[in-house]
Amino acid sequence: MKFRGAEAIVETVEWNGQIVVSKVRNKRGYRHPSLEKRLVVERLRSESRIMERLLSRGISVPALYSVNISDNSLLMEYIDGSTLEKALREKDFKNHLVKTAELLTMIHSCNVVHGDPTTSNFLVTDKIHVIDFGLSSISEDDEDRASDLRVFLESLDSHHSEINGRDIFLSAYTKWAKSKPVLEALKVLELRGRYNLMRG
Amino acid sequence: MSTTILGIESTAHTAGVGIITSEGTILSNQRSVYIPEEGEGIHPREAANHHSEELPKLFKKALDEANLSSRDISLVSYARGPGLGPCLRTGATAARAFAYSNDIPLLGVNHCVAHLEIGLLEGAKDPVLLYLSGANTQVIAYAAGRYRVFGETIDIGIGNGLDKFAREAGMGFPGGPKLEKIAEGDELINLPYSVKGMDLAFSGLMTAAKQKLESGYSLGQLAYSVQETAFAMSCEVSERALAHTGKTELVLGGGVACNSRLREMAMTMASERGVKCFVPEKALCVDNGVMVAWLGHQMMNADYQITEEDNVVNQRYRTDMVEVTWR
Repeated sequence: MKFRGAEAIVETVEWNGQIVVSKVRNKRGYRHPSLEKRLVVERLRSESRIMERLLSRGISVPALYSVNISDNSLLMEYIDGSTLEKALREKDFKNHLVKTAELLTMIHSCNVVHGDPTTSNFLVTDKIHVIDFGLSSISEDDEDRASDLRVFLESLDSHHSEINGRDIFLSAYTKWAKSKPVLEALKVLELRGRYNLMRG
Repeated sequence: MSTTILGIESTAHTAGVGIITSEGTILSNQRSVYIPEEGEGIHPREAANHHSEELPKLFKKALDEANLSSRDISLVSYARGPGLGPCLRTGATAARAFAYSNDIPLLGVNHCVAHLEIGLLEGAKDPVLLYLSGANTQVIAYAAGRYRVFGETIDIGIGNGLDKFAREAGMGFPGGPKLEKIAEGDELINLPYSVKGMDLAFSGLMTAAKQKLESGYSLGQLAYSVQETAFAMSCEVSERALAHTGKTELVLGGGVACNSRLREMAMTMASERGVKCFVPEKALCVDNGVMVAWLGHQMMNADYQITEEDNVVNQRYRTDMVEVTWR
């Protein structure tokens, strides 16, 4: 497996006799070398710290094996599952949506916002795992949390318009004790022109 | 049959009248820029006064240069927003007066979309536009019937930020080009780098630069660092938009796109990603009447039906409010 994103190259490699995932951030030739270095360290540090925080709270994220600042890479557990995007085309989609909403409330209750929780960033095995913390940050701001919800709902909308996933997902998210202000912030966010028109 | 279109620009500092043929040949591009008093920012009323004095002269100059009379114009197009109310109204009034007195159809168009469409004249087919100007800082691309804003500034426009920093440092308008001139060295002073997903923020960066200036850093080195940081942020978000949309062309637009360092960075980013980079000539990057005329032509060429609303100015006329019917 090899995937070239905007931010990094993600591929499976062999490491100490097992298959693991390596994530190497692309070097940007247009950036001043010292700015490049600063950003690489900041982002690598933030991503690995957030993964560690979630792991230590028992949330299903890939285990982190190695963080290497000199070559700008992360090595982590390979999770052999299908993406939620694919899994939502199966019969069991309601259960998957509820489990994903629960997972997101757990992430949010650790004061982490994912930043990019699209249906491709969840993997389904016997449970649901969350991956790619490249855009994640530490925050307990309701609007940041609402923005996570919006990203997820938008990806449901664009890839899974055939299922009415929104209500199932949001009602499962609402079970979280701190969800009320988040859902209110979501309302405000969705009323903003840009996001309304983006749906178009 | 070849037709000739006249475009009027007046959204902010610039009053412009441009004439272009339906084949895309530019016959004239007349501009006059309002310069605020030393140490001050733009005053909308003063800018509008400037435009109302300059526009009649620009009409005449443009027609003379194109060697045409007003009867030869088949469409008058003007930028009806976004922009400053008094400036927009002045341009709209001039457009109406010229169109009605010569019995020419009149169409109000979106200024930001005009910046994008003029990039297509350079040969791009379906690009991501990095649009950097005074008030506007957006990453735009076409998807499902609209030019959608994939990322944008969440506080101030990049150009306004640069101008403001330059003003604090005692330089007059426009500040961006002056900063470019005095930028020196290759050592970077650490400044806030603020990218959130595909959105940007510049106010923290400019405030930090101002504070560093007050605490004794050299202005040349700060100008260099501000450019390096702000342009790297802009390139990063356009790179994300390219990856996200899968598009393979990048177009630069807006006054800040005249900056050589920005052009260089965007071209490096494009070649690293294997995408084509189109950089319109400077006179077409800055606000101008030609791009407004060209967009008007594109729309009418695709049988756009003018409604009453198209001839009302709109200060908050967002890029993604325009239904793209002409492509």
